[in-house]
Amino acid sequence: MKPFSRLNHILRNLPVHLALIIMCLLWILPTLGLFVTSFRSREAVRASGWWTILQREQQPGQAGYETYCASCHGPRGDALAEADLSDPALIAKYPRANRLLPVLKQEINGMPHLSDPALPENPKDALDTLTPIVTYLQTLSGESDQTARLTLRNYADALVGYKGTQDYITDCQQGTASALAKFRCDASDLLNPEGMGRAFINTLIVAIPSTILPVFFAALAAYAFAWMDFKGRQWLFAILVGLQIVPLQMTLVPIARLYVSLGMADTFLGIWLFHTGFGLPYAIYLMRNFIGGLPREMFESAYIDGANHWLVFLRMVLPLSLPAIASLGIFQFLWVWNDFLVAKVFLATHPVLTVQVTNLIDPRGGNWHILTGAAFLSFIIPMIVFFAFQRYFVRGLLAGSVKG
Amino acid sequence: MKAKFVLFVMIVGLLLAACGPQPAETVVTEAAPAEPAATEAPATEAPAEPAAPEMCMGAQPGDELTVMYVWSGAEEEKLNAIFKPLVDTCGIKIVAESTRDAAVVDTRVQSAPPDILFWPSTAPVDLYTDKLVPLDTVGGIAENYASYWLDLGTRDGKWLAVPVKADIKSIVWYSPAQFEAFGYEVPTTFEELDALVEKMVADGNVPWSMGMESGAATGWTGSDFIQDILLAQQGPEYVSKIISGEIPYNDAGVLQAYQTYYKWASDPKYTVGGAEGTLNTAFLDAIYKPFASPAEAMMVKQSGFAGGEIVKQFPNLVYGTDFDFFPFPGAKGMQGGADFMMVFGTSNATKAMVAYLTGPEGAANWAQAGFDLSPNKLAAGKYTDAQLAKKGEALANAAGFTPDIGDTIPAPFGEAEWKAIIEVLQGGDIQAALDKAAQAQAEALKK
Repeated sequence: MKPFSRLNHILRNLPVHLALIIMCLLWILPTLGLFVTSFRSREAVRASGWWTILQREQQPGQAGYETYCASCHGPRGDALAEADLSDPALIAKYPRANRLLPVLKQEINGMPHLSDPALPENPKDALDTLTPIVTYLQTLSGESDQTARLTLRNYADALVGYKGTQDYITDCQQGTASALAKFRCDASDLLNPEGMGRAFINTLIVAIPSTILPVFFAALAAYAFAWMDFKGRQWLFAILVGLQIVPLQMTLVPIARLYVSLGMADTFLGIWLFHTGFGLPYAIYLMRNFIGGLPREMFESAYIDGANHWLVFLRMVLPLSLPAIASLGIFQFLWVWNDFLVAKVFLATHPVLTVQVTNLIDPRGGNWHILTGAAFLSFIIPMIVFFAFQRYFVRGLLAGSVKG
Repeated sequence: MKAKFVLFVMIVGLLLAACGPQPAETVVTEAAPAEPAATEAPATEAPAEPAAPEMCMGAQPGDELTVMYVWSGAEEEKLNAIFKPLVDTCGIKIVAESTRDAAVVDTRVQSAPPDILFWPSTAPVDLYTDKLVPLDTVGGIAENYASYWLDLGTRDGKWLAVPVKADIKSIVWYSPAQFEAFGYEVPTTFEELDALVEKMVADGNVPWSMGMESGAATGWTGSDFIQDILLAQQGPEYVSKIISGEIPYNDAGVLQAYQTYYKWASDPKYTVGGAEGTLNTAFLDAIYKPFASPAEAMMVKQSGFAGGEIVKQFPNLVYGTDFDFFPFPGAKGMQGGADFMMVFGTSNATKAMVAYLTGPEGAANWAQAGFDLSPNKLAAGKYTDAQLAKKGEALANAAGFTPDIGDTIPAPFGEAEWKAIIEVLQGGDIQAALDKAAQAQAEALKK
């Protein structure tokens, strides 16, 4: 009977598993596309989609080439020395069929260029015939060779903040003037203020204190709300929790004015305080529920033994509420890391990753091959945090909902 | 294991938290001077120069100039190249911020306004009329601009905004090589254009690539197209009267223009993909279609920026042979858009920048940097790029200039106009759609 019950079990769970697998695929697919694209060259990104990297070069124009050209130019295109079709410099002159057509209409040595068979008379049919041949010639000459190669140059461009028309490494090798004006072409470029490298450091400087400060203060406040008796405790707690509904956007202008008058505009201190302030209500709420759920007897015996509040907080509450602190820290860290608006408004001259990404692309959406590399650089740390502390996510989600 | 690790995290956390405020200040003081590495070099060079030249207007080396603009990426590079001569000569430090978000601008203006704001419309002039500084008081040179440019930025006799960068819209992009292969001639009148379009259809070619999808702003490409048809069929006076509200948007002339547009934009014989293609093709993709291999269409009507997008997409195509443009045939006037400079500060560095950009050096450097066109009269003839020179000529020779209707009339009308175009393309009744837009026009202009 046992095999059957197992089979039943599998069959029963099959829809759930299928749904899970499909959802995972749907979530992973765009990221995978971005990941593959981030290793493709600018030309390749422009020419084809990321899913084509495993395809073999198709050669649709080969049949046309063999019909019209191979009899004189040879199967590899190099039979005639004066018109070597395998020479990229020659082929580069004919990027489109409409450029090749006039040449083919000219006579060669008093004879039509093409006679056996002749090109169709109608220009539309002639262009339709020539277009795949032109594509084939570009493959043959190696003109479009680099489209298949994978490269790390997008990452280099993103790290140093390159915005020119080629790429950083090529520019540096060629010693282009515009590149040398901005870059030193050595390791110090990693800290270029316009690059993702510098933005990475800026983001760390913003995110670490903006995580530690609210979590620490929230733990203190939560302890007070849970275990210290003072007048108006419940009211104060209700007001604090209620403060969560204040939309962050509404406070931008008043706080920006305040910071300007205090000389804190565009400083790290300003953005730490902002994130701390807006992180606190939720953090206190979550921590109070957790700390309030610790057994009362434990606190009573500690007080009887002569421990004061500070000692109880440091020796008992902090170690016991580590799961809550960890999950809260993760959430706060990811929120600050991904924040765009607050950093854009309060830290304009020290761009963080999210802000720097928008500085790299053109307003009409050009240059987006750099964006792919930049996007991956910006979520390396969140990925590490997520995979290292996965289990706390679930605990964090439950911490506020189920009161012990 | 787990407990130890978590304990470690906590201890580190506590240590960091305990000494949180102190590193705060050291980091701030360290980071602040280190940041503008890009502008550091000129600042250190500056003292080598003997006396500050006239163009600095008394600005001292090290003076800071805060600017805000929408440009980023490669466009920002071009702007920096234009600023460079002034920065190098005077040693001022430019603290720039790039944003496309009007809310960020608003936050800044309400708290600490930038010295200079560059914005792609004159909307900030109406929002911050009281905060802006008249340009003639900070060294702006009005005589270098045509009167229609000055009028756009003047409120109650005060000159508050000056265009620094212009783009022409009444042009059609095509491939000369493709035209030659089929024996097509560039049309010069609207009738010739109409005949050419019919001839292309008879040859089995698709004349237009009219795709206009642009997210929430879908419709602006169609709006530009219709305005060009209006300029050809009715003339610039008529368009100006639509902008001022004297002619309602459901007038017979507008209806005629919409009928012409609808004929071209809804039929797969006339445009790539028919009405469906017009609505769902991204405007950037539509630019590429006539120049792709094989070509999917013969022409695309798009602003001057399209030239740059074509080379970016197809770097081996050559301007003049593989792609070129002609003025919209028969248009009695040039439609265009511009980026404006507005000033909040009165420092010497601000004055130096305003005087530089509105004067001869700024105009010449703008033209040489190839950052679209400079509306400054002194930029004429200074373009080094053939494409820009031709655009500059087209702008200078235009019979009249009309701003983009959508950019000029307050936002609700622009959106109503886009909605009308989308409705018409979806098969709605043209007159009914125009009636709704006319209502929005009347409301937007009522004060």
